[in-house]
Amino acid sequence: MNEQLNEAPCGYFTLSEEDAILSVNQTLLKILGYNLDQLNGQPINFILSASAILFHQLYLVPLIKLENHIEEIYISLKSVDDEEIPVLLNAVRRERDGRTIIECVVIPMRKRNELENELLIAKKEAVTALNARNKAYSDLENAHETMKVQKDKLIELNKKNEKYKVDTEREMDLAKKIQETLLPVPIINEHVEIQAYYKGSNQLSGDLYGFYQIDAQRYGLILLDVMGHGLSSALITMSLQSIFQRLIIKGSEVKTVMKELDDHLHSLFKNTSETGHYCTAVYLLIDTDKREINYINAGHPSVLLQDMNGKQYQMRSNRPPLGMFEDMSFKTNTLTYNKGSKLCLYTDGVEEPLGSDRLCSLVKTYSAAPLSTLKEEIIQSLRNEEDSDSRKDDQSLILVNLK
Amino acid sequence: MNPNILLRNNVKVAGSGTRPMIFAPGFGCDQNVWQSVAKDFEEEYQIILFDYVGSGNSDIEAYNVERYSTLEGYAQDVLDVCSALDLKDAIFVGHSVGCVIGMLASIKHPEYFSKLVLVGPSPCYLNFPNDYYGGFEKEQLLGLIDMMDKNYIGWATAFAGTVMNNPDRPELKRDLENRFCSTDPIIARQFAEVTFFADNRKDLAKVKLPSLILQCSEDVIAPSAVGEYIHKHLPDSTLKMMKATGHCPHISHPEETISLISQYLDEFNTNDL
Repeated sequence: MNEQLNEAPCGYFTLSEEDAILSVNQTLLKILGYNLDQLNGQPINFILSASAILFHQLYLVPLIKLENHIEEIYISLKSVDDEEIPVLLNAVRRERDGRTIIECVVIPMRKRNELENELLIAKKEAVTALNARNKAYSDLENAHETMKVQKDKLIELNKKNEKYKVDTEREMDLAKKIQETLLPVPIINEHVEIQAYYKGSNQLSGDLYGFYQIDAQRYGLILLDVMGHGLSSALITMSLQSIFQRLIIKGSEVKTVMKELDDHLHSLFKNTSETGHYCTAVYLLIDTDKREINYINAGHPSVLLQDMNGKQYQMRSNRPPLGMFEDMSFKTNTLTYNKGSKLCLYTDGVEEPLGSDRLCSLVKTYSAAPLSTLKEEIIQSLRNEEDSDSRKDDQSLILVNLK
Repeated sequence: MNPNILLRNNVKVAGSGTRPMIFAPGFGCDQNVWQSVAKDFEEEYQIILFDYVGSGNSDIEAYNVERYSTLEGYAQDVLDVCSALDLKDAIFVGHSVGCVIGMLASIKHPEYFSKLVLVGPSPCYLNFPNDYYGGFEKEQLLGLIDMMDKNYIGWATAFAGTVMNNPDRPELKRDLENRFCSTDPIIARQFAEVTFFADNRKDLAKVKLPSLILQCSEDVIAPSAVGEYIHKHLPDSTLKMMKATGHCPHISHPEETISLISQYLDEFNTNDL
């Protein structure tokens, strides 16, 4: 090796085809801390770090073999003190003096290596940040998509709800109409005149009444108010209606009618944990021949009786509402009336806004007037009270003129 | 035959024989590494060369980070090629990690293969103290990955530069086309991590085909102890120590490689007769 190459400002060494060290210049020996004898004939792995041994074997051996040269390869050498020395390596495979050798040049690059390390770290951080940003963006897009789907679902649900509401309202209106068709028409004859008024609340009715001419002289009048409103109350009302209609028409005794209704209410809720619905009711059986009224008032507002002189009498409740306590006995009250008396039956939907005093005085004031006038006056009074209390309850009113 | 797979994996079929012989490269290499060895078998066999997706002239668009995050993904490449060519009883020749890839493929579909030739195989490169010697500590393997990171730029520009600065030397262009280890840096890095941190020791016992292990002398990547370990755990295996040194005898010592493979196959053929 000539002196210039030996002292060149870069490491220089040659390898045999089997990667054994053939020569090393002084500069490289100094870098590695070996003398020439220690390296001559050693495999190149002797001066490579463990990672570089792998890298050399995997990349450099095949690369040199196939391409005959490599350029600018970063690799780390290993000094006599086991220190890793990062270097840039160029190598050429060529024929020299009749044999194939690999000539290599290495330049230590400690400072540049540090810079590259920093660059790599910065690059990795940038990639990590970019990935995080992309992930955040895609998460956001997913969230947006999910929200859109949920919003669409909500809109769909809302539509269904709206349709359900409309359907239900239509059904409710129909049900109300059906209920109202069950209300009886007025009875007017030589013995008696019966007029009624009904105004339902916004919901299905829990009020129900009926009056029937049983035979030539007997009339049955019933008025009920099932606790609550809505579907369940309405259905109970309907079931009670079929019972009392059957019983009244065949002229059953007052207490029989009331007992059957009471039993029915108890039987409805016998096997469930549901709280039973109870019902206030009053039933009057009028005999126009005897001028006698048999009645039972179960928890219902009093029934007003006024004689032709304007004297008033209250048929007060004498027992708890139906469906409340089981196995209670029913006691029928009896009173007589004289010609020209008036009866006024109502539910609490009428009593509460007006008060029983107002009702009594209205009946008294219009005692000489036709029944229809009295009815109109009461209805007008109810209307006047309406705005203060927007019809929460059903209003039922029955007026009777006992001729 | 599925032409998409043949394009995707840059499959090349040559030779005048009927018995298929498929060559799988090692880590980061393309099919050109087999040139000298494969040529010698062309007369007797049907030679099949291919590149893994991401290597050589494969269709890089087909690369899928998830699929190629394990060696099974690469084994699927081998199976796809076998299926596309409708291979049966092929002789599989693998180098380095290509050996494990071939073993995994043969476990899944043994019918494609008849025997395995394993050049410089290693089921696991990591050392497990008191249990297994793979040759490398974790830090050393991480150092390799680091070295790959730092050489990306160097390679990419070096290759490009050679072409640009030598317009009057078209043979360099050809060199570039046939370049070795021409793998996308990001793919190469993932392949390196998948390869060097894999532990397929448990799969050895599942291989049912006869196999030949070619163990180089002084192989720092797959040391002799590893070759012996494989021989011990791989059923029906033959171990041949080579005079060739290093890790790539098919490149550095093609003659010895060819003669050992021929010898092994001939023994079988004789037995078959």
